[in-house]
Amino acid sequence: MSMEENRKLLEVKDLKVSFFTPAGEVKAVDGISYSLGYNEVMGIVGESGSGKSVEAYSIIGLLQSPGRVTGGSILFEGENVLEYDAEKMRQFRGNKASMIFQNPMTCLNPVYTIGDQLMEALTCHDKTISKTQARARAIQMLELVGINNAVKRVDQYPHEFSGGMRQRAMIAMALICEPKLLIADEPTTALDVTIQAQILELMKDLQKKENTSIIFITHNLGVVAEICDRVSVMYAGRIVEQGLVQDIFYRPQHPYTKGLIASTPRLDEEDQERLVPIEGTPIDLLNPPSGCNFGPRCKNCMKICLREKPPYAQVGEGHISACWLHFMNRGSREAADTGKENTANE
Amino acid sequence: MDGKFAKISPFQVDPDKIPQNIHLNDDDFLAAGEDEKASMVEKHKSVSYWKDAWRRFRKNTVSMAALFIFIVCLLFAFLGPKLIPYSYGDQYRSAQKLAPFEYSDDEKTAMSVAGSCDGFYATALQPGSRTAIKKGDYYVQSGGKTYAFSLKKAVEKSILILKADEEPALFVVKEKDIKDGQYDKDKIQALDCTDTPAEGASEIKLVKSVFPHVFGTDSAGRDIMARTMYGARVSILIGIVAALIVLVIGSIYGAISGLAGGAVDFVMMRIVELIYSIPEVLIVLLLQVVLKDPLQKWFDSGTSAFASAMSDLGSGIVSIFITFALLYWVTMARIVRGQVLQLKEQEYVTAATALGASNGRIIRRHLLPNCVGALVITTCLQIPSAIFLESFLSFLGLGVSAPMASLGSMCSDALETISLYPYRLVFPGVILTIIVLTLNLVGDGLRDALDPRLKK
Amino acid sequence: MTGYILKRIAVAILTLLLIMTITFLLMNAIPGSPFLTEKSTPEMIAKANAKYGLDKPLYIQLWNYIKSYLKGDLGTSLKMQEGTPVSTIIFHQGKFELSLKLGLYALLLAVTLGIPLGCIAAYNRGTWIDGFLRVITTVGVAIPTFVLATLLLVTFAVKLQWLPTISGSLTTWKAFIMPVISLSFYYLCYVAKLTRTSMLDAINQDYIRTARAKGVKTRSVILKHALRNSLIPVITYLGPVMAGIITGSFVVESTFSIPGLGKYFVQSVLNRDYPIIMATTVVLSALVIIMNLVVDIAYKIVDPRISLTSKEV
Repeated sequence: MSMEENRKLLEVKDLKVSFFTPAGEVKAVDGISYSLGYNEVMGIVGESGSGKSVEAYSIIGLLQSPGRVTGGSILFEGENVLEYDAEKMRQFRGNKASMIFQNPMTCLNPVYTIGDQLMEALTCHDKTISKTQARARAIQMLELVGINNAVKRVDQYPHEFSGGMRQRAMIAMALICEPKLLIADEPTTALDVTIQAQILELMKDLQKKENTSIIFITHNLGVVAEICDRVSVMYAGRIVEQGLVQDIFYRPQHPYTKGLIASTPRLDEEDQERLVPIEGTPIDLLNPPSGCNFGPRCKNCMKICLREKPPYAQVGEGHISACWLHFMNRGSREAADTGKENTANE
Repeated sequence: MDGKFAKISPFQVDPDKIPQNIHLNDDDFLAAGEDEKASMVEKHKSVSYWKDAWRRFRKNTVSMAALFIFIVCLLFAFLGPKLIPYSYGDQYRSAQKLAPFEYSDDEKTAMSVAGSCDGFYATALQPGSRTAIKKGDYYVQSGGKTYAFSLKKAVEKSILILKADEEPALFVVKEKDIKDGQYDKDKIQALDCTDTPAEGASEIKLVKSVFPHVFGTDSAGRDIMARTMYGARVSILIGIVAALIVLVIGSIYGAISGLAGGAVDFVMMRIVELIYSIPEVLIVLLLQVVLKDPLQKWFDSGTSAFASAMSDLGSGIVSIFITFALLYWVTMARIVRGQVLQLKEQEYVTAATALGASNGRIIRRHLLPNCVGALVITTCLQIPSAIFLESFLSFLGLGVSAPMASLGSMCSDALETISLYPYRLVFPGVILTIIVLTLNLVGDGLRDALDPRLKK
Repeated sequence: MTGYILKRIAVAILTLLLIMTITFLLMNAIPGSPFLTEKSTPEMIAKANAKYGLDKPLYIQLWNYIKSYLKGDLGTSLKMQEGTPVSTIIFHQGKFELSLKLGLYALLLAVTLGIPLGCIAAYNRGTWIDGFLRVITTVGVAIPTFVLATLLLVTFAVKLQWLPTISGSLTTWKAFIMPVISLSFYYLCYVAKLTRTSMLDAINQDYIRTARAKGVKTRSVILKHALRNSLIPVITYLGPVMAGIITGSFVVESTFSIPGLGKYFVQSVLNRDYPIIMATTVVLSALVIIMNLVVDIAYKIVDPRISLTSKEV
């Protein structure tokens, strides 16, 4: 394994994001950390409201008021992007890290041609490029994402494109400056299943061709299995489990991840097990419980879960999980210097 | 490929260690009870649409303030006339062209003579006062009581004063007996009163001096506040009724067009477009002139309760209603049609159709309740536009006609003497503006409260 | 595009015909005769009716109107300027020119000031600038034109004497100020409010987020991406603005004593001068219809989703 592969492109440390609403502070992201290597595809999985999109927006400075980063750091190639001023952030966005969004139907400006919008992404980072060059590059990008007859298509408006084509155009736009990081926020959710598969295929392809790292945000575990190297599972603003994709799928450790996998239909399993829904609704982030955020919905909930946030436990190589269950048998003696016997051991 | 990224340490914090600040208890790793779990979850009460909307409306301070001011305007317009002794049509000859809060000279005399009194009648004390009362039988009415008396001799250059609680209740003071605002008690001429007027007795209308002309009076001696109250009432009534007319016609038309679809919808919408492209004010002006006489004829010949109720409103107001019924429903029809088309696709309508519900039932039970938010907002914002149109027509002399008062016609009357008496324009103008302003703000607040798209 | 415009012109002519018919029926329903004066005898009225063809059946009269209008002949005045051709009255006595000038200036002011003010308010949302503009525009759409016109008149002409009380034929720039402001203020405020709302709406759209994600400069995001989209509802509102400005001109012209077409229309209705009523209605309606056509074409330029060649008109 070369050094290159071990270097980190992105390091998120203890990131905290809050929304300051009239009703109070909502801690949408409550201290998450992870890192992303070059060429890596990291999936972030979680239900709506778990803070996965908010986390991604803070990386490229798209957080909208009343949201604000309240703590932590985001290192991109060693530089803390949270310390960038507005202009530096703008140069960073789209150029070094870019993003594609969930709904391709509304993400393209209806009053400008596809070409205009692609070229704009190029020209706003490179003032020296000529119009002809920009146009040629736009056509080249459209061809790259598999749009036929790109020379003609480049002058069309978004409403003349189908949903899948628009998402292809969005991807072309995001990659036109050859960014090192692409954040994909549920890029396939709004599309038909067949189109979904095509877009995923395309992203996998492009990722290899262009050597881009991808943060892939989704609530769809099937999509994660398809494309990701590693997965972070988020619940109510925290990462509850993180590990290589096969570990998460075949050896899930956290009760939430287990529930998530049990509630996802799988076609490859022979025995048609019943889908098991996760009971209850997510907690109110306005008044989060003092203990584990998943506690109230958890089947294995213990008394400590309702009182203290669980620390992370190493459950495999590169596989961690935040649950008190992992500490049940291991006990806490090594860590706690009180030396007090943990009588909970069975 | 497998395990390629496993080497990247996922965390800066050491896993597997329980932070020192966490204190473990003996029973911590026992299962938690369901009730313990339940106590952690915030109870979410489900709130009905209207309760929720009202809660949001209440939070909107501007709209709440506007609603409050509008209610004050309503009280001013509908309760106010009962509190002041003047009416919109009464002309007080001695009280012409008064400034706000000013008393007429006769009123001043009456007040200085009698202090507070329940009414007075001045005969030619000042220029413009009324002439002498000839001898004969008379009666006056005040506070629900009748005071009848008989004059053996004409009264002139005197002031007739009524003090209901005193004895004598009714007396006459001659001008020459008043010195420095005081009169000689011995020289007053008390009138013997009975409570049943003699046959053929005529009524003397007393001036109620105790009340100032808060907004002043106009050139005909009419109290501007009374007229403003009345005008505000006319404006608000016209606004509400016109908006309701638009609501009814617009929603029926729009719902039919949207539900029917196909060729019917096409034809109905082309009609709407044609009406929409007519500059309606040109037609409205013509309509006002055209409708005046036929309406008057209908009022005069009509014996039905409806005709007489309409005739109380006057031809000006009724023709404004007709105008709205003819031309102004198109926007509402478009909105309702849009809503219907949107809702038509929803499953519950399909379900209702599949169950064999009639079109009428679908409109009543399924479609209207679901577009009620849009209807309420549009109707509320229609009221100010109706008020605008009425005041505009009255300003041009085509709407509400004298002696009825309208804020628009008052403004237009004030225009002639604007440089001398600007307050005659300011009072009705400001009231009109406040009514429209508060209604707009209430409408905006309603939109914010009812529009589910803004719902968080 | 050409096909679309031709089609729209055909629809416009149809609409004008409809308006002519309605106007004709309505003005004939006005009780009384244009020739009725204190001295007139039934014979005199009958003679005058015969002279102007008013004794013919209504449908023939209407047909005669349409025929002569197609030839460009607007008829002659019956009463107000008896015997004078209506086209002379409207176009050569400065009436149309005055009203058109007044209306266009008011429209221009409403658009050129209203849109930037709306943008400024949206851009500074939540600050005192936004609050101040909101108060002004909210009050502005609640003041009737005649109240504003009269208050301006009292303040600046009567009390301060900076501006003339009678604007007359608008020969000096000073004469323009008050009529144009009172005519356009409501629409200025409305356009500003509309621009603010649709701007805020546009700013919250997904494509704005995309533009920001691309690294487009904030100013460019607002001026290029948000503004053009937010102009769409503003443009659709310009048709009603033109109609409204004509309405307002009736009031403004009589308040400031401007001998324009609006004032003349009201007088012609009260005087039952049929050819003048008809001609003014047609001219003013044509103005509104042309404005609507211009708006629709502008709409197409701003919003490529609207296809002018499609069946929907």
